[in-house]
Amino acid sequence: MDIQLLFFAAVKDHFPDLKKIEVSEGDSILNLRKILTHTNPGSESILKVSRFAVNQSIVGDDFVLMEGSVVAVLPPSSGG
Amino acid sequence: MSVLEAHSHISSSPIFVSSQLPDIPEMGGFVVFSGIVRNLNEGKKVTHLEYEAYAPMADEMIRAILADARKKWDLLHANCIHRVGRLQISEIAVIVETGSMHRAEAYEANRYIIDRVKHEVPIWKKEFYIDGSSEWSKGCVHESH
Repeated sequence: MDIQLLFFAAVKDHFPDLKKIEVSEGDSILNLRKILTHTNPGSESILKVSRFAVNQSIVGDDFVLMEGSVVAVLPPSSGG
Repeated sequence: MSVLEAHSHISSSPIFVSSQLPDIPEMGGFVVFSGIVRNLNEGKKVTHLEYEAYAPMADEMIRAILADARKKWDLLHANCIHRVGRLQISEIAVIVETGSMHRAEAYEANRYIIDRVKHEVPIWKKEFYIDGSSEWSKGCVHESH
């Protein structure tokens, strides 16, 4: 099944063209972290410190993805 | 009207400190904090910044932080606006306003709001340096910034 991806700031630079990715039924955020790291090993350190949001709510590593989930990868923020 | 203007706490337009205070007769203290783009960071000369936000989520999170502040303190006024896009040196990046009957609540709530906005809200800063290079900020590692 497909999920939509949104990348921001430093993470966006690692995945400039990736808008959708295929994951398996039952895959969690942890699985997605592994898939993304495998896709681009250079992103490992920034992904480790990034938060994930699904449909605009912060979720933990055990959150299970669903078809069409909009997943935002949020590196450490630095507003202000 | 751009899409961003629909999010009242995230603005692509310049932010200014107003000389007009909120018209609240009970208000005895009003605190304004402005976060300003400075020309130096970590010893490197900065020429300008770019702020990027996950705008709908950032707007909602700032709204929730303001609501939390209103629960913790007896505030008569609380607002926060964060700028996005390209900002020049000395422009205001973020403004937090708090007003209350007495100064203590206004000061404490203001600090609480800016600290949470800086640490939690999905807004990122890219610094551009005088040598032509640029870098995304690593996030809040220095509490005093």
